[in-house]
Amino acid sequence: MANVLDLRRRIRSVKNTRQITKAMKMVSAAKLRRAQERALQARPYAQMLTSVLESLVRRADLYGGANGTLLHPLLMERDEKNVLVLVVAGDKGFAGAFNSNILKAAQSFIDQRRALGQTVDVESVGRKARDSFRKRYPEAVYERTTEHYDNDLSTHHETLRRRQSPVEVLGEHQNLLLKLDIDDVSALSRSVIERYEREEIDAVYVVYNEFKSVIAQRLVVEKLLPIRKLGTHEITAAEEMTEEEREAAGRAALSSGVSLEEPEALEIEAEARKFGTADVDYLYDQAPEHLFRDLMPRYVTTQILHAMLESVAAEHAARMTAMDAATNNAGDMIDALSLTMNRVRQAAITKEIIEIVSGAAAL
Amino acid sequence: MAESQTDSGLLNVRLVTPDKLLLEATAEAVELPSTSGYLEALYGAAPLLAELGAGEVRLHGGSAGEQRYFVAWGFVEVLPERVTILAETALHPEQIDVAQARQELQQGEALWAEAGDDGARYDEANAVVREAAEKIASAESK
Repeated sequence: MANVLDLRRRIRSVKNTRQITKAMKMVSAAKLRRAQERALQARPYAQMLTSVLESLVRRADLYGGANGTLLHPLLMERDEKNVLVLVVAGDKGFAGAFNSNILKAAQSFIDQRRALGQTVDVESVGRKARDSFRKRYPEAVYERTTEHYDNDLSTHHETLRRRQSPVEVLGEHQNLLLKLDIDDVSALSRSVIERYEREEIDAVYVVYNEFKSVIAQRLVVEKLLPIRKLGTHEITAAEEMTEEEREAAGRAALSSGVSLEEPEALEIEAEARKFGTADVDYLYDQAPEHLFRDLMPRYVTTQILHAMLESVAAEHAARMTAMDAATNNAGDMIDALSLTMNRVRQAAITKEIIEIVSGAAAL
Repeated sequence: MAESQTDSGLLNVRLVTPDKLLLEATAEAVELPSTSGYLEALYGAAPLLAELGAGEVRLHGGSAGEQRYFVAWGFVEVLPERVTILAETALHPEQIDVAQARQELQQGEALWAEAGDDGARYDEANAVVREAAEKIASAESK
């Protein structure tokens, strides 16, 4: 049996661990609150874009074609032969099953699409997603050709994709989630849109962790492109939290002072709904079709930003929950070790007394 | 809020970015860098929707005082007593990193050279150059 000194050392070490996990929990809780606040602040802008687009759809003559469909490349539906999936995971570990759940959902999406005979491009956001997919799938290869005409007076560039495998990794975005700068998100969105318009991909999906509040989260697959209805999130698959997860998350939130409620909408949000929709005849500085065309990509950007903001909040929530569980486990372990230590100490004392008593009896 | 100010002759101005509601103030006039040229909105202006290119949003008078924001791209709704500006990024002139803007300008010029006869890429390069140039101009004008 271990001696008292060893046990005392172990207890000290577990206590240190508990302090660390507790600190990490509180840090995650603070970051979660900030992430929630940020997601809330981002809503008016997204809402305004949606409102004005809806209003443009109603007012402008954007319909055309044989069956009166909306004319915009991002609204066109094609047969899904090549799909792009944007996987939003975390940059860091220590978040329980957060990353592995997302990767599992992404993998099952890829497998499903493969079963339908579609090719899949994977674009990962967050280091954990990159690490996982880069091991499994080859990288996409682009070839750039340059042709010269008229004795080099004019050049023509063309970029060609050379597909080697049905599933390829296309881009990776590490540390994007740390700051979540709009310029970076916008660049990602532009590159996705460009590929979509070039018909390199026929549909775009995002796998991410949706976050309404600590106890209302789901893992979703959202269809980003083509856009079927403005202002909605078209969820094609969702995985709810289990009762157990919800309980653990609720406990962690309560002990670190994070609200379980969904934060209340800002006052400006109601007004954001009216943006560009007043009951007046607007003058259009540019043709409505033109405005619509330029606003659509921004709308896609806000949709991607939305997914990322929610995912960031969910990641902090997951880390907070995991660290809460670790702190509790450390507490249990300290209790168990203290009990053993007391027993061992008592046994030693008893043994000494027996020795003394029997020694005295022998005299 | 709006009701009490309807007769003040001041516009309610809001500047909204994806990060937050950046500014809420009243102003006598707002200059807007529409893609088709600068326009100025005053109290009682006709309702207007316009896309903003790279340039400065300038507010004059009212609670805003004199304020300038650089926007790279934006969208504006002008109503008789309210101006709402959506901007993907909005910076105070002193927040602009001039060195970086100069780099962007060079990149844009490189893109120009690279674009060749490709119209779309030429436009793209144009946009980069324009944004960088406006950024520098905004940072350097006092």
